[in-house]
Amino acid sequence: MRSSRRAIMRKIINSLITLFLVIILNFVLFRMMPGDPVRLIIPNDPKITDDHIAQMIEDFGLDQPLYLQFFTYMKNTLFLEFGDSFTELGTPALEIVLEKLKWTLILTGTSSIFMILIGVTVGVIAAWRRGGRFDTGSLAFSLFFYAMPTFWFAMMLIAIFSTELKWFPPDSALTYGNTLEFSWDGFRDLVHHLILPATSLTIGSIAAFSLIMRGSLVDVMTEEFITTARAKGLSETQMLKNHAVPNAMLPMVALIAIDIAFVVGGAFQTEVVFNYPGIGWETVEATYVKNYPILQAAFFLIAVAVILANLIADILMVSLDPRVKMGG
Amino acid sequence: MISEPTKEKLLLLKKKTLETWKVFRHNRMGMLGLTILMAFVAMAVFAPQMMLILKAIAGWESAYGPFDVVGPEGMAAAPSSDHWLGTDRRGFDILARTIYGARVSLEIGLVATVVSMGLGSFVGLMSGFWGGWRDEILMRVTDVFLVIPWLVLMIVFATLLPGGPSVEKVILVIGITGWSSTARIVRAQVLSLKQRAFIERARSIGAGDYYIVRKHVFPNVFPLVFANSILTIALSILSESTLSFIGLGPSPKAVVTWGNMLEDAFLAEAMFNGLYLWIIVPGMCIVLIVLAFTFLGYALDEIFNPKLRKR
Repeated sequence: MRSSRRAIMRKIINSLITLFLVIILNFVLFRMMPGDPVRLIIPNDPKITDDHIAQMIEDFGLDQPLYLQFFTYMKNTLFLEFGDSFTELGTPALEIVLEKLKWTLILTGTSSIFMILIGVTVGVIAAWRRGGRFDTGSLAFSLFFYAMPTFWFAMMLIAIFSTELKWFPPDSALTYGNTLEFSWDGFRDLVHHLILPATSLTIGSIAAFSLIMRGSLVDVMTEEFITTARAKGLSETQMLKNHAVPNAMLPMVALIAIDIAFVVGGAFQTEVVFNYPGIGWETVEATYVKNYPILQAAFFLIAVAVILANLIADILMVSLDPRVKMGG
Repeated sequence: MISEPTKEKLLLLKKKTLETWKVFRHNRMGMLGLTILMAFVAMAVFAPQMMLILKAIAGWESAYGPFDVVGPEGMAAAPSSDHWLGTDRRGFDILARTIYGARVSLEIGLVATVVSMGLGSFVGLMSGFWGGWRDEILMRVTDVFLVIPWLVLMIVFATLLPGGPSVEKVILVIGITGWSSTARIVRAQVLSLKQRAFIERARSIGAGDYYIVRKHVFPNVFPLVFANSILTIALSILSESTLSFIGLGPSPKAVVTWGNMLEDAFLAEAMFNGLYLWIIVPGMCIVLIVLAFTFLGYALDEIFNPKLRKR
């Protein structure tokens, strides 16, 4: 018990170091551009008045030497101040990013549930009927969708289900003019707009889950306790449900954390294609106009989220599996 | 003149390669991947000749190049007998662009992989070999690149690195964002090698660090890196197409890749206008080449990793 507590402490410290490195990276990257930092960080836009520029120079300490800028930056990061969005002066970038976050969470949350459920189910059946028709079929299916760029699959979905069949709307999260509300109609509108983006995000990631689940279960099925379970006269379903699957689930926990990185990447593409107003859409939009505060806030927020998710998965791993005492 | 020991080594290498090929030949997945890949390599190398042959068959005016304005400018045109896949908004022939597109897509995939594998192997080797605090530092940096979603990292790097979008920049961005998992794999392998007796023996007879890494560690890590790099090529090609799609790749006016063709198609709203071939064909090229490298990677993994072969 003591060693597992120490392992958890170590994971927490490592996560904090990772977070600190991300914060430094965020600073270095945005100061790496050659030329006058004031002019580079603040775009040449007639809408931005001299007053605003003066304000920003003071806020970010851009007229000070680099090491002082770093302290100003650390202080700002600590208080989650990334400055105003360049395109909507007066609105803090973080506020805008947080507002978009809910859409990304709706999209990624829905997709994650489906990709885990479908992936695990497919993996279990494939491993159970190893070498059979379902196994080869699902492998081919998984690899095919895995090889597909998410944005391309999203465009194909629009062509088929919006342009041709006219079943689902091709863009945005709600019918124009509607806001998110708790009502049956509101929910239907939300789901109606969510189906295509969620499908495009889910299908590509099923492969990752089904392949790992299959591999893990195949490993477990060769263990002696499975033979024992069968010898005891348990039915195949009992054996799978009570002995094989629970023991094969462990690698899945680690995978779920790793997969978050891929899901976020996929969500970015999906949001761009479907004009879905989430963080990905906002970030890609920010790259076009060099809206650095938005970019910085989004990068920081996503980094914190994934580091936290990884930490939770690591702690779960330690507490679920007594063998994992210390991981590199 | 080739010296005797070198000759012997070459012979041994030849024998080993032949043996690997013998196993590989019976791997259906691997052979399928190799066949698809060869077709795309031929398409990249003989792109102008392919257009000439198609011209002769279809009776076009000329064998269109990827940057010849042959259609109406300002709007995309639907497929016709002159332009089988139509023309895009710049008046470029889409079929010609798809065929020539194999060149830069493959080039970026290969070179970016060399960059990221090189970087990852170097970090992994050093980290595993040194151990201690230097290992700690390198691994925490690796964690950052491992944890942050790849696309987010790529977007930030592509936006902030100096210079406009170019092939070189895309390669650099994919290379410096994609090395972390290689570093992890190599480090684990080096750590397990360090426990083995032959390293200790080499050290006890006075071999230096550099010698041990070059003679004993690297040759044992290389097959693993090689099998892994084939899978990385697939990921690099996907990364290129995604970067290009969101507008951070090289300009379609100067360079043609399947990724920036799809960007063009998206901006021209091809999926609403019924210009589906413009989306389907370049997209299927990406899918097929990624599949080819994935199949190859799996096959090689099976060959180099004897644990998998038994199953």
